Amino acid sequence: MLKYIARRVLWIFPVLIAVSLITFILMHLVPGGPWDREKALAPAVIENLNRRYNLDKPVWEQYLFFVWNAAHGDLGVSYTSQDRSVTSIIMEGFPITATLGLAALGVAIGIGLPFGIAASLRQNSWIDYICLVFATTGASTPNFVLAIVLIIVLAVVLHLLPTSGWGSPEQIIMPAIALGYGPAALVARLTRASMLEVIRQDYVRTARAKGLMEEAILFGHILKNALIPVVTILGPLAAYFITGSFIIETMFSVPGIGRMFVQGIGARDYALILGATLFYSFIVALANLAVDFIYGFLDPRIRYT
Amino acid sequence: MSRSKVLSMIVMVAFVLSTLGGALSGCAAPPPPTPTPTKAAPPAAPVATPTVAVAATPTPAPPKEELAADQHLRVNIAGEPPTLDPNLSSWDASIAVESLVFEGLLKFDKDLNLVPAVAKEVPTVANGGISPDGKVYTFKLRNDVKWSDGKPVTAKDFVYGTMRLLDPKNAAEYASFYYTIVGAEEYNTALGTKAKPKKPTDEELAKLRAAVGVKALDDYTFQVTLKEPRASFNSLAALWAMYPAREDIISAKGERWTDDPATYIGNGPFKMTEWVHKDHITVVANPNYYGEKPKLQKITLLMVTDINADYAAYLAGEREIARVPLATIPSVQADPKMKDQIRRGPRLATFALQFNNKKPPFDNVKVRQAFSMAVDREAFISKIRRGVGKPAYSWIPPGMPGHQPDLGLQYKLNPQKAKELLKEAGYADPKSLPPVALQYANTGANPIMAEFAQAQFKDNLGVEVKLEPLEPAEFSKRINAMNYQMGFYGWGADYPDPDNWLPELFGTDAGNNHTGYSNPKLDELMKKAITEPDEKKRLQMWAEAQKMVVDDAPVIFFFYDERFIVVKPYVKGLTLTGMDTTALPGNRYMNQVYLLKH
Repeated sequence: MLKYIARRVLWIFPVLIAVSLITFILMHLVPGGPWDREKALAPAVIENLNRRYNLDKPVWEQYLFFVWNAAHGDLGVSYTSQDRSVTSIIMEGFPITATLGLAALGVAIGIGLPFGIAASLRQNSWIDYICLVFATTGASTPNFVLAIVLIIVLAVVLHLLPTSGWGSPEQIIMPAIALGYGPAALVARLTRASMLEVIRQDYVRTARAKGLMEEAILFGHILKNALIPVVTILGPLAAYFITGSFIIETMFSVPGIGRMFVQGIGARDYALILGATLFYSFIVALANLAVDFIYGFLDPRIRYT
Repeated sequence: MSRSKVLSMIVMVAFVLSTLGGALSGCAAPPPPTPTPTKAAPPAAPVATPTVAVAATPTPAPPKEELAADQHLRVNIAGEPPTLDPNLSSWDASIAVESLVFEGLLKFDKDLNLVPAVAKEVPTVANGGISPDGKVYTFKLRNDVKWSDGKPVTAKDFVYGTMRLLDPKNAAEYASFYYTIVGAEEYNTALGTKAKPKKPTDEELAKLRAAVGVKALDDYTFQVTLKEPRASFNSLAALWAMYPAREDIISAKGERWTDDPATYIGNGPFKMTEWVHKDHITVVANPNYYGEKPKLQKITLLMVTDINADYAAYLAGEREIARVPLATIPSVQADPKMKDQIRRGPRLATFALQFNNKKPPFDNVKVRQAFSMAVDREAFISKIRRGVGKPAYSWIPPGMPGHQPDLGLQYKLNPQKAKELLKEAGYADPKSLPPVALQYANTGANPIMAEFAQAQFKDNLGVEVKLEPLEPAEFSKRINAMNYQMGFYGWGADYPDPDNWLPELFGTDAGNNHTGYSNPKLDELMKKAITEPDEKKRLQMWAEAQKMVVDDAPVIFFFYDERFIVVKPYVKGLTLTGMDTTALPGNRYMNQVYLLKH
């Protein structure tokens, strides 16, 4: 087990190097640089800027410079938030995005699982139909549309919640719902389908034949097995939430990392792009690792070698 | 549900669509509805201009003005300032904040005339502030100006600030504006270029630094020596880039002195108490400000990048001032309650459709003139811009010295004449033109502007124009490299003087001449106008220069921009000037703003 963990963790490093190299190459292949603006800067000023941010060095040297510094925990300085270190930008933005992401994940699981379970236990009943409507609207409503509806109803008309911003608990509610509603519907659908499949398994019938309590069958046999496919999507979903949603962060003015990253791309902020990509990759790798471990917990047939 | 709430809903639908448009385009927040490259906006001109001051409703002597107990203004500056270091700034959001926290030697009044600020008077030859040869500017400083920590502001603070601006290691983007100062260019370029790097020793660098023509004659006399006379130098001295700076603090704290309210010491009407990155900045009244004390106790400067989100917050009562999304303007104007909250005013920004004058068919002046004549600017303003802005037929906008309202009217829509011009250029059949493409940055209102232009050329000239939407940075790169045929372009005033408007764009080899246009006679004339000390003669020269540009039609002058914002009725004393920042309208007179009980 320990050997497996060590191997998986060590694999993260070559993955990160590959990701950084690909990002670096793509970044420099994209037309336009950080100082390309409609109102052009004087050539002498551009020379000074390039020198200040090490862009006057050969490209390969810039990459090695980045890798060396990154290995020492320094992701460079941003050109758009002048001179602020990328590490500090990520460290400030990430907890915000992560908080929002976890809240959205809470919405997805907290709504999706009970809906899915209820629908499967009462298949073809009105509960099931309600869940079906929920799942269909969730899957077909883009999160920015939901965000608008929430803003209009809860903020502009009813004045129950602030339209945007960050810092107070009530400012989390709308973006979390907007971000988590679609995935909640997905979780509900998947849970329902998986539950229905497990309910028809022989071992469930056997448990019933043995006279086990219905609750024990549900929690001890059905749910545990039915959750495996659900957990499979929770890994990438957690990564998606934690790495942020640019649209939702922009609409609700959440100062998270997703918004910064996309703005960094637009501004050709190479240091920010590279640093954020590397960080994202790390988070996704960790999320995938966590999912693999949860599999083992849910299904003892899965072994780590 | 009240009408305004129904309106809000309609507005929010527009919100969805436009947010999507911007957000999904893959770049940062949807930009303002115009493709402005505008950076900042300082002002000046020793000439009384037909201003711009578009004051808030001139309150007809209110019977009783009961002030709000909480004098707290909430306004959005549309994004995180890249820096709050005035000497190193170049972007609008930065300057919006710095103009509250700092004050320079001179400033611009409501009519954009230069008036003294920290300096006792505006230097002139008559008062001895400018030497007879026009090269030496001497600023006598007030001795009652203090930093927010109580220390006096002295000439050394101005020397330090200006030298930080010119220090090559600081890579200040506006340094090149000050190359007119003796030794400034030599010092700022001391480290050479990538192709020819220089490695000066500390002594050599110190020597270059010492040779810069900026010095403190005593605690309250600041002097600048120019390489050659520059009539607009007073305007440059009023810009944020030459704000004073505190050597003791910056050398102790380092580059991040701006982050910490304890070290972000200014001399303006407000002082910063908080900077929550990407979220908001808080400023409060500076008790040590020497001038008119602010009436507001606190201003929260939010950093909402989405104009629609900002407007929704205004509707929800979370802002006192907001910009209005273009698509929402007609409904705001139609709403009886909202229309009273509208404030409009010029912005000193002009937008054009520029041609690559080096490539056929736009290397032919008649073709350029024909295209210019084929555009119905009035229809553009009324239909596309929802009545915001004015049709432009020349370059310098209304409200600026040098604006000529009657210039360029020959380019008013005239399809007949346009086709004749095309024929004279050798294209009797419009289809015989080489393929024509219009490149644009695919954000904000640019796509709809491009479609409008395309339809105009088709309907009025019979020319099929292919549209090529590009990602903004790629668009800029192609424009700068002159790898384009036609592209939108905007220019906002750094300072209200023609020498910020004509030479930089239409001079041969000028940094922002992306058209390839060249007219040696114009170059000669502009060179003289820049140094001409006589104001009347100078403006005549600029008028002549602008006429040359208009006749040669290197670009299609498209429209003059306009400010269109909404302000809550309880906000009083807000004065808009043409040189306000886009991010914070009314920033230059924010110390006069106050709130009534509401």
